[in-house]
Amino acid sequence: MSNAFLGIDTGSISTKGVIILPDGTIVARSYLWTEGNPTDAARRVVEDLQSQINTEEISVVAVGATGSARRLVGSILDATVVKNEITAHAVGTTHLHPDVRTILEIGGQDSKIICVENGIATDYAMNTLCAAGTGSFLSSQAHRLGVEVEEFGPIALTSKKPANIAARCTVFAESDLVHKLQVGYPREDVIAGLCKAVATNYLNNVGKGKRIQSPIVFQGGVSKNVGVVHFFEEALNQPVLVDPDGHLMGAYGAALLAADAPASKRKPFNFDISDFEFTTREVICQKCANHCEIVCVYKDDALIDAWGNRCDKGAIKVKK
Amino acid sequence: MNNESNRQQSEEPNRKQTALNAVQKAADTLKRRYSDETPNASISFIPGTPEALRAHRNKKKQKKKADRHARTKVAFLRYSYYDIAFKYFVEQVLDADYVSLPEPTRRTLERGAQHSNDFVCAPFKHILGDYIEALERGADVLVQFAGPCRLGYYGELQESILRDMGYEFEMLNFATVTGKPLQKYLTICKEKVNPNISISQGVKQFLALFKMIECLDAYNDAYLAKAGFEVEHGSFKRARDDFFADMRTVTNLNQITAAYKQGMSVLRELPVQEPADPIRIGIVGEYFTAVDPHSNLNIEEKFIDMGVSLARYLNITHRNLHYNEENLRRGVGEYVSYDMGPTSTMTIAAAKSYAEKGFDGIVHLKSSGCTPEIDAMPVLQRISSDYHIPILYLSYDSQTSDTGLDTRLEAFYDMIAMRKAR
Repeated sequence: MSNAFLGIDTGSISTKGVIILPDGTIVARSYLWTEGNPTDAARRVVEDLQSQINTEEISVVAVGATGSARRLVGSILDATVVKNEITAHAVGTTHLHPDVRTILEIGGQDSKIICVENGIATDYAMNTLCAAGTGSFLSSQAHRLGVEVEEFGPIALTSKKPANIAARCTVFAESDLVHKLQVGYPREDVIAGLCKAVATNYLNNVGKGKRIQSPIVFQGGVSKNVGVVHFFEEALNQPVLVDPDGHLMGAYGAALLAADAPASKRKPFNFDISDFEFTTREVICQKCANHCEIVCVYKDDALIDAWGNRCDKGAIKVKK
Repeated sequence: MNNESNRQQSEEPNRKQTALNAVQKAADTLKRRYSDETPNASISFIPGTPEALRAHRNKKKQKKKADRHARTKVAFLRYSYYDIAFKYFVEQVLDADYVSLPEPTRRTLERGAQHSNDFVCAPFKHILGDYIEALERGADVLVQFAGPCRLGYYGELQESILRDMGYEFEMLNFATVTGKPLQKYLTICKEKVNPNISISQGVKQFLALFKMIECLDAYNDAYLAKAGFEVEHGSFKRARDDFFADMRTVTNLNQITAAYKQGMSVLRELPVQEPADPIRIGIVGEYFTAVDPHSNLNIEEKFIDMGVSLARYLNITHRNLHYNEENLRRGVGEYVSYDMGPTSTMTIAAAKSYAEKGFDGIVHLKSSGCTPEIDAMPVLQRISSDYHIPILYLSYDSQTSDTGLDTRLEAFYDMIAMRKAR
């Protein structure tokens, strides 16, 4: 019987999960769409992971949760560690690539850059205002062009002369794109232009003022797009490494953090979450004039966690 | 006999002049000396017969115009803990009634934002929301400051927005007299708030007000530095609330210093468990957002809960009472040659001093679209790479959800903690 650790990364678009052994090898991986329902996505990922391992031989003793729905999923899975995705990505990537200096990450709704020195994150930045130049922007444009977003990369590489598209703002990019199509630009040039715009927009906004040094690792869903990778390499004039498990790096980092947690916190994870029904309910606190919205999470009918209150007056305590 | 009254008459304008000079001297932020250990606004008393003994002389005159006016209700905007100073200013200096505002709620900002242009910076929205609440609580006069950025125009704009909404009020907008002699300030205060302002009392209390602000800021600096290491959760916050409550009741200089001494000794006595080499973070940024907890979603408390020692050079003491832009700029001569506006020199100077003192990180706060602070950001990036100190840049608009903020703060903390552990 070997100990193992489960990491789950619930993002806005996709939910990722891994199970790792104490030495860091991944024994199970899962990647599914969140489809706007993090509770259900977490359940499906856990089932998927369970089907890949032999529960007789491997026992999961700690769970790490990350991603934008980390708090919700963390309380559902009774996670040992709930960590933000920036730390999780840094931990996961530096474990697999100890010499990495720069981590570029473009996800569904956000993008970030992490600078690393001697295996320790020294600086990071995250896009602040809007989702321009992220995965959801690319998928919405793919939809407009009638192309699957997965085909974007290969199509972009066939272009010899990428069109110039302003990707600073999604709205401008869209009107620019329509205009370029209407005046007769070939589709592959427009697609290549979009991929290029994502790369330059990222470097001009998120990467602004950061020293991007080799080795560079690029991850997140968009790293699967060879077109964007190509334009990153072109703009940076340096090779950009894409790990085959790059999209799982947040989950991998969360699993590593769970493995690092004190042994006293370990408890066997049963994979039985499908047997329960998880519901969330929003309560408006009436204790003061601010009226905080408090989210309560129920496992069947029992309250397991609550958050959203600004002060202790609104704290909803869970009976243990 | 005749001689005597002549002498008194010639003394009268002199006394007035001395008093006004004293204020002007205290307000002159360029030449005043200041040491960080003890806040010491110099308070000079007017030589001559004490006020109490002279009272009978003006009796006749005073009686004539006594109480023909109802007391005015004056309201300020909300700005961190400075409501204490605003209250003192209204009650002791202007001798009017102060309209206390309760803690702002989500609705405050919602209504402020609803009546503002979307692109105006977040402080405008907060302040407008405050004014609406103040007017609903019966304020007759709203006070707006002068400002070296867009803030300087806010008073007029807010006044016309509020009038369009149908409110009746007076606006005491100090931006209308900026740069004019002190007498003009007095004139508009008399005109809008209280025609019977006592000059001698007002000047004395105005100087006491300076001292009060220095005390509040000095106390808060001590609080920020140590609160992260409290043994009993919430003990520092309680002590600070007690101190603020005391400060709300004071009416003169002696009481201010007494309350400060008392508050500081309580704060110093609180048990702390300070690590040998604690994580220290410096806060820099824009005048309103970096200081006001409701604008920056309580970032200071969030860091304190993580067990961080905080420093924030930016406050009214340093920015207004003892501000010497030229000096600050000379200290960062390798980075800037010109003053770029309201707080940019201070932001850069403070960031550099934190970097030199070996702080672990710097957080830069600004409202979205704040041009002077955007100008300061490239300089901060240079400081960051010169001193190898990470800087977290945060931009605020009228959002109330702090999920995204928590992610960034937590990651920032993890990053500097891991760096330090190495």
